[in-house]
Amino acid sequence: MSETLEQTRTRANGVGAAALRKEDDRLLRGDGRFTDDVDPAHALHMAIGRCPFPHARILEIDVSAAAELEGVQQILVGAEVAQRTEPISVLRPVPGAPQLPYYALAGEVCVYEGQPVVSVVATSRAVAEDAIELIDIDYDPLPHVSDVLEALADDAPVLHPLQLSSNLLATNPQGNGDPDAVMAAAHIVVSDRFRINRVTGLPMEPRAIVAHWRPGARELTAHVSTQVPHLVRMQLAESLRLDEGDVRVITSDVGGGFGLKLGVYPEDVLACLHAIDLRRPVKWTEDRLEHFRATTHAREAVHDFAIGADADGRITAMTNTYTTDLGGQNSPFGSAQLSSIVFTGPYRVDDGFVQRRVALTNKTPVGAYRGYGQPEVNFARELLMDRLARRLGIDPLELRMRNMLAQEDLPWRNPAGALYDSGDYRLALQMVADAVDYDALRAAGRERPDGRRVGIGLTSFVERTGYASAKFLANRGSRYGAHESVTLRANRSGGIDLFTGVSSMGQSSETAFAQICSQVHGIAFDAIRVHAGDTGATPLNTGAFASRTLIAAAGAVSAAATELRDKTLRIAAHRLELDDVDGLEVDGDAVVVQGDPSRRIPLAELHMAAIIGQGIPVDEHPGLEATAHFEPEHAAYAFGSAAAVVAVDPETGDFEIERFVLVHDCGTMVNPTLVDGQVRGALAQGFGAALSEELRYDADTGQLVNGSMLDYFVPTAADLPPIELHHTEVPSPFTTFGVRGVGEIGTIPPGAAIANAVCDALADFDVQISRLPVTPELVWRELQQARNRSETP
Amino acid sequence: MKPAPLQYVRPASVAEAVDALEEHGGMARVLAGGQSLVPMLGMRLMRPSALVDINDLGAELGKIDGRGEETVIGALVRYSALETSPVIAERLPLLQEVVRHIGDRQVRNRGTIGGAVAQSDPTGEMPLVCLTLGARVVARSVRGERTIPIEEFFEGSYANALEPEELLVGLRFPLAPVHCRFFERGRKHNDFALLSIAVAGSPDADGRWSGVRIGLGGVNDTPVLAEAAAARLEGRTWDTATIAEAAELALEAADPPDDVRASAEYRNHLLPIQLRRVLTDLAGAEPWKT
Ligand SMILES: Cc1cc2nc3c(=O)[nH]c(=O)nc-3n(C[C@H](O)[C@H](O)[C@H](O)COP(=O)(O)OP(=O)(O)OC[C@H]3O[C@@H](n4cnc5c(N)ncnc54)[C@H](O)[C@@H]3O)c2cc1C
Repeated sequence: MSETLEQTRTRANGVGAAALRKEDDRLLRGDGRFTDDVDPAHALHMAIGRCPFPHARILEIDVSAAAELEGVQQILVGAEVAQRTEPISVLRPVPGAPQLPYYALAGEVCVYEGQPVVSVVATSRAVAEDAIELIDIDYDPLPHVSDVLEALADDAPVLHPLQLSSNLLATNPQGNGDPDAVMAAAHIVVSDRFRINRVTGLPMEPRAIVAHWRPGARELTAHVSTQVPHLVRMQLAESLRLDEGDVRVITSDVGGGFGLKLGVYPEDVLACLHAIDLRRPVKWTEDRLEHFRATTHAREAVHDFAIGADADGRITAMTNTYTTDLGGQNSPFGSAQLSSIVFTGPYRVDDGFVQRRVALTNKTPVGAYRGYGQPEVNFARELLMDRLARRLGIDPLELRMRNMLAQEDLPWRNPAGALYDSGDYRLALQMVADAVDYDALRAAGRERPDGRRVGIGLTSFVERTGYASAKFLANRGSRYGAHESVTLRANRSGGIDLFTGVSSMGQSSETAFAQICSQVHGIAFDAIRVHAGDTGATPLNTGAFASRTLIAAAGAVSAAATELRDKTLRIAAHRLELDDVDGLEVDGDAVVVQGDPSRRIPLAELHMAAIIGQGIPVDEHPGLEATAHFEPEHAAYAFGSAAAVVAVDPETGDFEIERFVLVHDCGTMVNPTLVDGQVRGALAQGFGAALSEELRYDADTGQLVNGSMLDYFVPTAADLPPIELHHTEVPSPFTTFGVRGVGEIGTIPPGAAIANAVCDALADFDVQISRLPVTPELVWRELQQARNRSETP
Repeated sequence: MKPAPLQYVRPASVAEAVDALEEHGGMARVLAGGQSLVPMLGMRLMRPSALVDINDLGAELGKIDGRGEETVIGALVRYSALETSPVIAERLPLLQEVVRHIGDRQVRNRGTIGGAVAQSDPTGEMPLVCLTLGARVVARSVRGERTIPIEEFFEGSYANALEPEELLVGLRFPLAPVHCRFFERGRKHNDFALLSIAVAGSPDADGRWSGVRIGLGGVNDTPVLAEAAAARLEGRTWDTATIAEAAELALEAADPPDDVRASAEYRNHLLPIQLRRVLTDLAGAEPWKT
């Protein structure tokens, strides 16, 4: 199926061009339209009362004082919501797990701090918040558990005793060969426990909804800030017991999603319920304090990883048993699932075993976040690769090269079942080494005149982008498919309207889709107008997540553009009195006869003819519109390598990242500027999680300690190290144009590269890092530990 | 994040402002730049009965004045004004350097010196530099004006000697040494400090130092002066051993917190190292040039 670029012609703003973003004009002028900008007349405002405890039984809720406050229109509590709605569905449930149904408001027991308990709608948000304070809720705090491993201990309080006898939701093993036997026979085994920090994605625009119900029309219109308007439509209809036909979801600009805005949250259901009851628009915009407690968190996991190798450093087996934290209950999307599939990375490993355990704790539910399990497992494996190198006295670059799959080994199936499509993994690593001048750095030694120590840290990885197929997803209980869809409709000005369910959240899909459309059809990039995210206007699709949009959408746009172009050419041939379309092509704003520029028909004329059905061939129907769906056969595996060069102050633990080089491959680049933007954005989030971000819970109270921008250290531009990007461009054989996903890759390498660099700098002290984030204080502590180790023989 | 109900008063003079504060019997709060107050109102951590907005009082409270040896800064002077003022550059170079470490451009365009001192954040830069430079706080109420030495002003974390009906009208700085240094470590760019150090003093022709003051932030529930350390350095030339002794003595002033920025242990570890480095740098260098 692979149609490569060579088969089509280059165009001004076609595939591969650094076209300027279609989205920028409105965004830079302040004319973006975010959900909070939707301000209907007579709107009411919702506020949510949230559980202040990590685990508590609700004894009594007294709303009488609040109900009397002037301006209060309606108050909902859990019992009523449970009666009137269906539980909120999970889009990507954990395979093999029992259902843990939950409603928009807590029932008898709350399982995390921040869980919605009451909702109030009033004439203003301030009045609604005043009312929340007047609601008297009698809680009986219950024993709680925050730590993922403690949650699995025998004496841990069980969060969902009706469905489960422990807090272990599911265990998902995958593997190949006989890793236990091979590991036992290995010349050397390195293993450790790695702790991954709980973080969150912090989109600049928090979640938001404006819901409006028109009873006579039986129509619920919901403006929602989401990555998946068509899935939200399905989930809202289900929860509210409406037909999908009654629900229209409109998503305009989204100020960042990162995986956090995947599916229906409790507040969405509540705003709709209130709007239906009150017959007035109801608005809710999450504030940042709510965001830190009520929007999904991510990443927290404990990985027990082991690598066995022979004396030459050739890996013979890898095993990884890890426990991920789901939080108190399911999130709209479900927790990260990709640590397993890429656990062996870009290395040849025949005997491998990986097992995921999903644990429940009394914390905010965990959901998808850019990277979706891949940064976590990469950290564990790549730190052990460096330790293996050190133990064997082999250079870490050489050790990686020795084990890395060669271009001719691909396609190759790893022990977890991933089918790596194509790529030159070794070339990417070599390019990284060349870019940092690896040999010269090594030769220069670790000590600097100012007392600091210099280290180089490498990491190599593969990244799954997109989904294998709808069949693969359905086997795992997913509530969505693997396809994308697009409608192209010619308009009478000679342009094309492109309709997509993919909402615009910064990923530049409007630009990329228009480039592909222009490439295939021939129409000028500027004549394509993209309309995104309104379920009332766009074809049913899947959505913008899992680095999957372009992998699927490239095929859909391509097919629809081909269909539209072909019909346009047939009409042109008819009007030019030609026998067939041979020698005709679309060139910008007209159909032209190749070699005879005087013979051309403007697209505006052809579109008008087609739309009114005048002057078209007798066997053609009027209209000029095409809808196409496309599902890729396989996921595509992006890959890359990175290096960090750091200078560490051994006295204080402070370190400076002097260089960070990433070489990566996302197949054919539809637009190199967009690729760089995606990679840099994800790197920034990767650096945050690697260096400073961590949601911390008080050991005694179980409450979130740093749930505000004051104490959650998300990096600013000034905190980022210099970043150098290089690309290879090996097309994927599985996708249209050979594209791979690119949105998430930057989250993967920072943690491993930086930690390896710090350990390398402090190799003389034998410092080992086994957790994130890597802060100066952690480095200082590990240095002390290493010194203590060396003093006690 | 909406404030609880409150009244809003916008006085046209300092006299009106102190009347309004008196009228609310200590339950009103002054609104200056709002950079600390507005978030606290939104989180409902503060529920004043009224806000007394002093932003129209620029004529009375917005001036920077060099009067003889003294430099007087009105409470409503914004951080960004301090950053660019030639008077401050000449007279209080340490203050100008320190301001650049506070928050971001937007915060510095709104935040005021009076608000920062009244906020009394133990990790804030402005309280630290006022302490190091030995400023005096001028406060006014309907009962009149009083001047509080900064050493007696900070009483604890976010607590100070101002009465609830008092308006901070300005700060008076004595002549400041031109030899000074500032060091800060936070968890991200221009974050609140997990450790900050401000040092000022004057060497004579023989390299003997006088008027040495060392202020520390982030290591106690208020900014503190490292008095024992300063005493060790006063009247001497600074050789490596003297500096090392002084750096260790600074720990006497430290009783740091354990929080999300750093553990107490780590702050105690960093303090002597970083102070030693700051002093070493200062000992061998030119006066501060901004
Ligand atoms: C994003 C961000 C980052 C920040 N980073 C830093 C930082 O790095 N370092 C730092 O030190 N600070 C930082 N701050 C806080 C900032 O410095 C505040 O501006 C300062 O603490 C208060 O000054 P203000 O004029 O805004 O006062 P306001 O917020 O208006 O008031 C603060 C308090 O002082 C009282 N008050 C104000 N003026 C007077 C007066 N004249 N008389 C009596 N009482 C008064 C108020 O009633 C209130 O209690 C940051 C703030 C933000 C929003």
